[in-house]
Amino acid sequence: MTQDIFEAWAIPSSVVVPGATSDSAVAPELSIRSLSIESRWLNELTDILVEGSGRLKNRKARELARILGTVGSRFLKEGDPLRTKALELLPQASGLSVQMARVVLDGMAADWAEDRLLGLLENEFGTSEGLDGFVKQDGCRTMAIGADLCVQIVSGSVPGVGVTALIRSLLTKAPTLLKPGRGDVVLPVLFMQALAVVDQDLADHVAILYWSGGSSDLERGVLDRASVVTTYGGDESVESIRALTPVTKRFVAYHHRISVGVIGSQALTSGLVEQTARDVAYATAVFDQRGCVSPRSIYVESGGDTTPQAFAEYLASALESIENDLPGGHLELEEAAALHQVRGAAELLAVSGSPGGIYHGEKASWTVIFDPDSELRSDHVGRVVRVESIENLSDLIKRLRPEKEHIQSVGVAGMGTDLDEFAEELGRIGVSRIAKFSGLPFPPSRWHHDGGSPLRDLVHWVDLEEVGG
Amino acid sequence: MTDISPTTTSPLGMAPEELDGLASKLEVRFSADFTSRWSDLEFEELALHAFNVQFQHNPVYRRFCEGKNAVPTSVTSWQQVPMVPTTAFRYLDLVTGDHSSVRMVFRTSGTTSTTLSPGRHLVSRPSLYHASLLSNFREHLLPDAEKIKFISLIPSPAEMPHSSLSYMVGVAADTMSSEVQWFVDGEGVLNSAGLIKTLNDAALAGEEVLLLGTAFAFVHWLDELAGRELRRLPPGSRIMETGGFKARARDITKEQLYKSLSMTVGLETNRIVNEYGMTELLSQLYESHLTQPNELQEGHAPPPWLRVRALNPTTLEPVAENETGILAFFDLANLGSVCHVLTEDIGQVIDGRIHLEGRFPGAEPRGCSRAMDELMTSSQVTRR
Repeated sequence: MTQDIFEAWAIPSSVVVPGATSDSAVAPELSIRSLSIESRWLNELTDILVEGSGRLKNRKARELARILGTVGSRFLKEGDPLRTKALELLPQASGLSVQMARVVLDGMAADWAEDRLLGLLENEFGTSEGLDGFVKQDGCRTMAIGADLCVQIVSGSVPGVGVTALIRSLLTKAPTLLKPGRGDVVLPVLFMQALAVVDQDLADHVAILYWSGGSSDLERGVLDRASVVTTYGGDESVESIRALTPVTKRFVAYHHRISVGVIGSQALTSGLVEQTARDVAYATAVFDQRGCVSPRSIYVESGGDTTPQAFAEYLASALESIENDLPGGHLELEEAAALHQVRGAAELLAVSGSPGGIYHGEKASWTVIFDPDSELRSDHVGRVVRVESIENLSDLIKRLRPEKEHIQSVGVAGMGTDLDEFAEELGRIGVSRIAKFSGLPFPPSRWHHDGGSPLRDLVHWVDLEEVGG
Repeated sequence: MTDISPTTTSPLGMAPEELDGLASKLEVRFSADFTSRWSDLEFEELALHAFNVQFQHNPVYRRFCEGKNAVPTSVTSWQQVPMVPTTAFRYLDLVTGDHSSVRMVFRTSGTTSTTLSPGRHLVSRPSLYHASLLSNFREHLLPDAEKIKFISLIPSPAEMPHSSLSYMVGVAADTMSSEVQWFVDGEGVLNSAGLIKTLNDAALAGEEVLLLGTAFAFVHWLDELAGRELRRLPPGSRIMETGGFKARARDITKEQLYKSLSMTVGLETNRIVNEYGMTELLSQLYESHLTQPNELQEGHAPPPWLRVRALNPTTLEPVAENETGILAFFDLANLGSVCHVLTEDIGQVIDGRIHLEGRFPGAEPRGCSRAMDELMTSSQVTRR
């Protein structure tokens, strides 16, 4: 069997590639080749990025949006070699099925097009000119200034997150060092290869490097040189980066997050319940429950036309059907081991007289656990979703409260008219997004990511007051 | 949840005769010569008998098996016996026989980092457990000496009454130690000065010792020593180390730890034996450096009454010998609960021995090592 090798780096053209590399097989036919990095080389590279900051600051934000958008939209264009390459590599590099890779790429890259990026700038700053010079604001003049160096460390496994992160910091005119997540090295590197073709100068302000595991020696050096640091990942990885980051740096943390869903009785009528189940199945399926936007638990209002347990059965059959169009991805051995634990424990609980049920595919990994006692937990084991019964919405808030620090989005259906009040209550416990299930996997580019501002969090403002002659 | 400490005795319940009969038979077998391996036929017969008993006298397990159409009349080999995942020990009291006969409850390490309930293993027949752990312990740690001085960095069973690891060391010490000293208390605080003095005294007196600890207890101790070397222990001394290497305090490989430990106390690294165990299995697996010092035997050896397989992650069928799979154990010492247990651990099984590939980082820590690490880390913070 031949092994394709993907070189997982992009560095400024003036930097000499160190000789040594190491390969790690991510799939039977694909290896990821990484540079063997030493601190000294990495520190020199980051110094070069910092030195180039002034050149990047001289460019106009709108122009950057246009160029980045030109590259980004190539991932959407059927037949474009960039898209073809991405679709060829993604299933192996990220463990997604072929069909799912397509859905994920379409969903993520939609936000990389020029109009979306201009919309994002406008939404964040009112006008993109606020990044190019002083603009009047309440009698004072102010300007947003991006980092001299933005270091972004991503430890998650959702493909596309790295490119979105990269685009955000480049829009703020910040030279960027990106360490993508292990399952997300392909898209940022392809993006940079394409960017270098249309704008080598812009590409020279970016480095993408992957190294495995936490390497504090490497990380300390780049964090010292950064002015803004963003991290994406589990609490432990974010915590370890935070501990290495000097206090004077702006630190933007996207720590472990999960999403949930809630279904009110209006979506449980005989006419609607199947569509509701299909929408929930789609939100569950898209990232194989690996995304922060993936709904791990669905809370179903009792007393409607469909009981919560019956809804679990509808959801099970929707997940079985979706397996044809959007098959589940590859599970790593450890994930498969965890899946067997969850399934086996749920089966035993069910026969022990606990009023629950479990539904799962044969070879397919989808699993629905109807668990009124909210005992069984699972994380990151493919398409596993729990269905719980709730009496009413205040019951839901009570259930969510213990996990409030980690809940990001709430998918909703059939909530009726009191949605505003409900949304506010959710907001108060820390939820940052409420959306319909079909929109859950792909938030709009202007979303308040984990409650923050995607671009404003990356800049600082300088106010120029009236100082007279 | 019932809270019975191992020291509490409850009135013996009515145990089904068949269960008692098999337990007594196994107890005798476990205590007998630790021959290399039981024949397949011998193991099969006992395993199917155990399944039959568990099917009859463990109603939850019975319904689980019936749901899979696996009943004693249809199951013809131990491999077909339905497996219970270790996670199920968190949610259910998997007792075969009368619940009133439960004498001890062991808990998996409940850690501060998880909201999950800890797993628990209810034990009805301490004598069967003792027979299993003692002959196995002797075989792998004391094949050459009747008694030895125990120096433990594992808290005593009095300090940690629900830890199966503490209990195991306590029972072993009762019969195999000339003297036992405990240097980590139930709060995880290490008495480093006392430990150093005891080791140095033993070295001066030429007294062989068995030093026992979790990987992280050793790491914490070595951190405190900061490279300082002690007097060389007599070469017949030995170390039992247990626990994984996915450190929270700091990353360290098994090789690094063993090298550092061996330098510190002046023993060869082949005097260090790793023990692999978990609360859900009443038998342990050990490396066999001391038993077969001249053979290069890697991996952990099971006792004759335990068989292990590495399974395909999709089909749960056995994988080939050089392939990695999910580890499943059939442990006859688990007669009082469920014998066939599917773990989250992965590794290879070569010639009946397991070659572990690290515990799943996201998996809840079993055994004691990680919990001890957290305990010791927090106690260090409070001590300052």
